[in-house]
Amino acid sequence: MTMQREQLEADVLIVGAGPAGLSCALHLANLIKQHNASGAKPELSAENIYVLEKGREIGAHQLSGAIMNPKALAELVPGFEKSAPLDTPVTDSAALLFTEKHSYRAPITPPPFNNTGNYVISLSKVVKWLGGLVEAAGVNLFKEFGGADLIYEGDGIAGVITEDKGLDKNGKPKANYTPGYELRAKVTVLAEGTRGSLTKQLVAKKHLDNINPQSYGIGIKELWDVQPGKIKPGYVAHTLGWPISTKMYGGGWIYGLSNNRISIGLVIALEYENSRFDPHAAFQTWKTHPFVRNILEGGKLVRYGAKSLPYGGWYAMPRNFMDGGLIAGDSGSFLDSQRLKGVHLAMKSGMLAAETIFEALKKGDYSANTLKLYKEKIDHSYIKEELWKVRNFHQSFRNGMLDGFFHSAIQQITGGAGLVDPMHAHAGHEAYKPIFGRPAPERFKGDGKLTFDRLTDVYHSGTRHDEDQPCHLKVQDLNICSTKCVEEFGNPCQYFCPAAVYEMVKEGSTLKLKINAANCVHCKTCDIADPYQIIDWVVPEGGGGPNYDGM
Amino acid sequence: MNILVCIKQVPAKDAPLAIAGNWIKESDIGFEMNEPDSYALEEALRLKEKHGGEVIVLSLGPERVKQTIKEALAKGADRGIHIADDNFAELDPLGAAKVLAAAIGKEKIDLVLTGLQSDDHGFGQTGVLLAALLNLPHATIIMQIDVQEGSSSGTTAPRLMKLKRELEAGWFQWIECPLPAVLSIQSGINKVRYATLKGIMAAKKKEIATVTREALGVSAESTQKIEKIYVPTKTKKTEFLTGPPKEVAAKLVEKLKFEARVI
Repeated sequence: MTMQREQLEADVLIVGAGPAGLSCALHLANLIKQHNASGAKPELSAENIYVLEKGREIGAHQLSGAIMNPKALAELVPGFEKSAPLDTPVTDSAALLFTEKHSYRAPITPPPFNNTGNYVISLSKVVKWLGGLVEAAGVNLFKEFGGADLIYEGDGIAGVITEDKGLDKNGKPKANYTPGYELRAKVTVLAEGTRGSLTKQLVAKKHLDNINPQSYGIGIKELWDVQPGKIKPGYVAHTLGWPISTKMYGGGWIYGLSNNRISIGLVIALEYENSRFDPHAAFQTWKTHPFVRNILEGGKLVRYGAKSLPYGGWYAMPRNFMDGGLIAGDSGSFLDSQRLKGVHLAMKSGMLAAETIFEALKKGDYSANTLKLYKEKIDHSYIKEELWKVRNFHQSFRNGMLDGFFHSAIQQITGGAGLVDPMHAHAGHEAYKPIFGRPAPERFKGDGKLTFDRLTDVYHSGTRHDEDQPCHLKVQDLNICSTKCVEEFGNPCQYFCPAAVYEMVKEGSTLKLKINAANCVHCKTCDIADPYQIIDWVVPEGGGGPNYDGM
Repeated sequence: MNILVCIKQVPAKDAPLAIAGNWIKESDIGFEMNEPDSYALEEALRLKEKHGGEVIVLSLGPERVKQTIKEALAKGADRGIHIADDNFAELDPLGAAKVLAAAIGKEKIDLVLTGLQSDDHGFGQTGVLLAALLNLPHATIIMQIDVQEGSSSGTTAPRLMKLKRELEAGWFQWIECPLPAVLSIQSGINKVRYATLKGIMAAKKKEIATVTREALGVSAESTQKIEKIYVPTKTKKTEFLTGPPKEVAAKLVEKLKFEARVI
């Protein structure tokens, strides 16, 4: 379809209002304010910073455990303790080993599991609060707008096309059809979060990959209101072992928030052999462990959600600067794979991007030559310090937990180098083994009190999409689903999706893929874990997706 | 033609609701524009595009309702009025209508539009009561508004509308109604527009006037109060009859006869 797009031009365009994008916007607005107050030229304006957010509200698509190291926030918002909705400081950090019937607490909590000085937070709440500060600083924050395409120019990027609104399911304009904007900017910051759809495009097109492909995990989370006295606010536990086999990489969490609310979840690396493994069912099974069951008994499910996360670390970090563009946050692999902490690193990356852009605006030069300052700043910051120490951590678990502990112990005493440095990784979707005609396992149903099926959980994610819009999960070749994939892997999409989006439905003698796109919680697992890499997650109409209030 | 739209802010449809006392716990959830009101706003914007004039948005509630007013301004309303009131959840429809009427009385308005009902309380009364308090004609469940242009010289404001109302069972009714008036708009009357980037930016510069309920001189006394709010308990139970069709049919007849007692 050819159409006239309205054009708008900004100085800085940030895609994604998460910790990285908002920290970038706020830090830059603060730098501009100081700059203008000093009378320096050229005069700059925070109003020329645009932030796009696909969610209905700022914070609506934010999901994390979450334990936050406050050090980046302390730099960004001095005195944050007084105004930020931090919930509660960590009071006790436990590392637990689960067997099917028992749990064992490590007598000394290993340092990576120690969270003294950190906060248990609702990332959604913190980001919502941060969004308020960004708006108050004069930045233009546009919710319900997604970045659908990049505008490429020269060796880099020059802005984005926002998504078309008001198309029906066949792609035909409805009465309120509004074509996407052509939003041009001097610098575009991709802060889309994990497996960003524009970042994916860009990294492939410009060959920005590092020596390792990105590794991913999926985190599945529930918020519960439990009976008083079950867990102290600030109690933080990480579990290893049952029900995750030692051949897989993953673990659970239990965090105590205030007012008898708790956050529980399971993270599993998306690089397992069993193509019909169901992460959601594994999480539900984990909840039946006596230790977890006891906490949840008499409680009530409040919220559900799922999101992928980038495990790859330093050696999977794409080149993050180019003409007119920077990559920040999870999109740029700013996550400590050992501690599974990324919020402070995402924020710091956004702030360093802001400092880089500020220099570029003063110089009037937005080429890679100026923007490479971003990489230099990262290399001299605690981002590198933290990520360098664990640069081989996740990769050492490619042969399972036992091997991983062996390697990571050696890495611990050799400053991260270990026995092999760099340690190479394979893309997770290459790990599946063929099913060789084995029958499909029975699906997990749940008891409706402690455990739930996926549809019940999706209901609790507050997910909403206009049903009459083009499917935002583009499968390049549906034929593969009905033939090759049925034979080889038994259609893993039916199992890895935590929102029951993918279904194989019998039509005559063949199985056909049915996509329930309206259920999608935007976790990006399908885009990552599909064995043939033929699923493209693209942004749906702005405002669609989950509502992670309180998550 | 000056049109005023009353817009309520309600808990987001998919918000995780928790009960606190005799209302919901508001601190943990998001809020959004009451969907039925978004159709009233759209209708007002379309009438303005056709007949000129001004669209004013009026909302009642705590500070957070400004966000909803801003959304309406981003879609094209000209200015907003915020009646600041932290305890508005306690107001019954008559109380809310009294406050709204006091604010509307200060404006020169040709038409007041409301949604059919709110997605939270769902009384569907505020618009009707508002008309009575303003002493204006009123019509509900409006599906179409045709404003008859003013006198032949074109200098006077329109004085008459033809209105299409939805009745039961697919029936409609056309009526004539003089202006000014208060109308409750049926949901689905139009296709609501999206806010545009330019609209969102322009909204930052539009005026939102804030008044308090006290300044309007309206007392907060309610004639109704909520005694209790609770999550419905499941009472229905589905039972599956299994076996060969003949047996199942016999079992079913037995159940219909002796349990349901309908045959």
